[in-house]
Amino acid sequence: MVMALVSAGCGSAARPQSPSGDSAQEQQKLLVWDWKSGEPAAADYIEKAKADFAKRHPGLTVEFVAQPFDQYYTLLGTAIQAGKGPDVMLFNGGGQIRDRVDALLPLDQYVAEDKSRLAGWDAFSKDGKTYAAPVTLQGHPIYYNKALYEKAGLDPADPPKTWDEFVSGCAAVKKATGATCFALGNKEGAGIQFFLSGLGSGVLTPQEYDDWIAGKRDWTSPHVRRIFELWKEAGDKGLNNDGANSTAMFTDIFRVFETGKAAHIIGLMSDVGHWKDFGEFLPPDKIGVMQAPVVTDGATPSLPYDGGIGYAVAKWTKDPALAADLVRSLTSTDALTAFYAKAGAIASDTTIDFAQAGPAVAAIASEIKTGRPALHVALSSKTLDLMGRLSQQLLSGSTTVDKVVEQLAASDRAS
Amino acid sequence: MPIESPSRLVRPAGSGRAGAATVTHRGRRRDARRGRAERIAPYVLVAPAVLIIVGLRLWPLVLGVNFSFTGDGELNGTPVGLSNYLELAGDPLFRTSLRNVGLLVLLLPVAVAIPGLLATFIYLRVPGHRVYRSVYFFPAVLSPVIVGAIFNLLLGYDGPLNALLGTVGVGPVDWLGDPGVAMFTVVGVHIWATFGMALVVFLAGFSTLDASLLDAARVDGASLRRTIWHVIIPSLTRTIQFVFVTTMIGMLTSMFGLLFVMTNGGPEGSTYLPEFYIWHQQGQMNQPALASAASTVLFVVMLVVGLLQITLLRRSGRQD
Repeated sequence: MVMALVSAGCGSAARPQSPSGDSAQEQQKLLVWDWKSGEPAAADYIEKAKADFAKRHPGLTVEFVAQPFDQYYTLLGTAIQAGKGPDVMLFNGGGQIRDRVDALLPLDQYVAEDKSRLAGWDAFSKDGKTYAAPVTLQGHPIYYNKALYEKAGLDPADPPKTWDEFVSGCAAVKKATGATCFALGNKEGAGIQFFLSGLGSGVLTPQEYDDWIAGKRDWTSPHVRRIFELWKEAGDKGLNNDGANSTAMFTDIFRVFETGKAAHIIGLMSDVGHWKDFGEFLPPDKIGVMQAPVVTDGATPSLPYDGGIGYAVAKWTKDPALAADLVRSLTSTDALTAFYAKAGAIASDTTIDFAQAGPAVAAIASEIKTGRPALHVALSSKTLDLMGRLSQQLLSGSTTVDKVVEQLAASDRAS
Repeated sequence: MPIESPSRLVRPAGSGRAGAATVTHRGRRRDARRGRAERIAPYVLVAPAVLIIVGLRLWPLVLGVNFSFTGDGELNGTPVGLSNYLELAGDPLFRTSLRNVGLLVLLLPVAVAIPGLLATFIYLRVPGHRVYRSVYFFPAVLSPVIVGAIFNLLLGYDGPLNALLGTVGVGPVDWLGDPGVAMFTVVGVHIWATFGMALVVFLAGFSTLDASLLDAARVDGASLRRTIWHVIIPSLTRTIQFVFVTTMIGMLTSMFGLLFVMTNGGPEGSTYLPEFYIWHQQGQMNQPALASAASTVLFVVMLVVGLLQITLLRRSGRQD
């Protein structure tokens, strides 16, 4: 029997897509799936969005169903296979939505007006079509602890511009306070992703950076190699906290930074590990955001960020215009302002005034215009998985930079 | 066929040969019908059980094996022959996971010896044995997630255990971050969390132990070590074998929770087990067909291990 199966394996492990249901029926209710609406911090946001939608479409009910995030895409996968489910749904930008665009409605004709007001569209686009409107932006600013800078006699208002300055500054901080340079949590292998994206713009030339994002990644470039050398150097020279390979990025390492045991952390902009999170322990005026230190002459540091989460419309929804209108309400300035203020997220709306939340947010907001997509987001999940393991080997010294770059290049080519 | 005999047993008294002489034509037909019904009855009765086994166990198994010969992603649904298995063979991560299964088998004697030894002490009534009996069982009621979270804190690089080691001058050990140590750490925690069950089984075994043998040993002046080696272990052979089998199954099938919480397969992929690999490929990498192939390999491994264990148990059963 095994032989028969070997030669004739049939069916498919993942169910093929089935066509969607009927349409052209009076829509009475819109169903929304996400993992955010259940959180108390998002209540205001949902309320504002609902109110905005009700103003334009009175008498229509909108039901939000908050799914647990760890099962979200599994549940969504089932709905997509069945060809029915929510009309509007939340997505992470990048691979998660691009893998599922077959089930989604292109929104370009509906959201044209919002294009310039919101940032982060690229993460929700594929082949020139937009499939979701961004709600938040996610990226990797380098945060630093100004209090530690002061203690070490460094100017907190003028963070280091080059890698050499950065490393000597770290030495001063270490000497004065005992704090390490980086707070690094690489247990899940996520540390290298943050490192690559956080520092990449200071190492790659602008041309290399654009090529990388466009998919023309030259793994033989000395600058790409340099990023992994820096990673290894940081480990070898003791710039990282001890036990980086056994410290979880989510969320143990953020505590290390908050409690002043490390001077820098490459963190996030939204959800967790960001300015608002750190603000619980560090006063907002003691948290700084710096640009990537320049390693290569000619590199132009920029904020690496992409669209974080965004709402999309299912192909099977009965009235696409109506569902798209709900997406517009969910990305209205009012709603997004509430989301940013309560949930601690850099909302996608560029017209929001972020200044009152402290200098760190203001610094991030000012860089959004010049920011570019994060380097690691361009890699496939398979390559990222491999990179996580290889980065742990680099830290423990059981492999070399050459071998790592070689393996990553092979994995990147294959996917 | 055994199926024939119950039907004869359930035949009602009136349908026996005694009445055969007076049977009419109609009666004979009714008799034949009843005979057929009786022949069918056992099949009908076992049908639900068979259908459940076939429908919910064997059919999914066949489907899973079948899917392992199809592709992922763009090749979804197309037969790809053995390529998934070749990919597994070439994947260092999967090889590590199989090697770790081997490591578990090697560590099995330790996992059995610990509850065995502790049960012996309790049986020999060391001071405070009543307290120990419940204390030892306590971790067995905790979920692996809770156990993992507790030990994550204890074994952190800057955690209390390393602080304790520091006070006696032993350098900090990266319990969960050193690829050479992490697997042993997780197995150690697993043993800690589950040996309570094996301990109970051992205690039950002890209750069948002939006390006069122990008394005789004591009268002869045998030391504790000799008593354990020459009296207790031989008398408990069957219990020990049973604990071996159940511990083995527990190690191979229920480490997922601990791995997930404590190491997430790392560092450097050193704590992968096939189960974790399957979950990772299916849930994280979106490669269900490759995961099916890995499941099939795990199934074969478990089948071999299971058959070996059955043989072992059967042989010990014959000895009695």
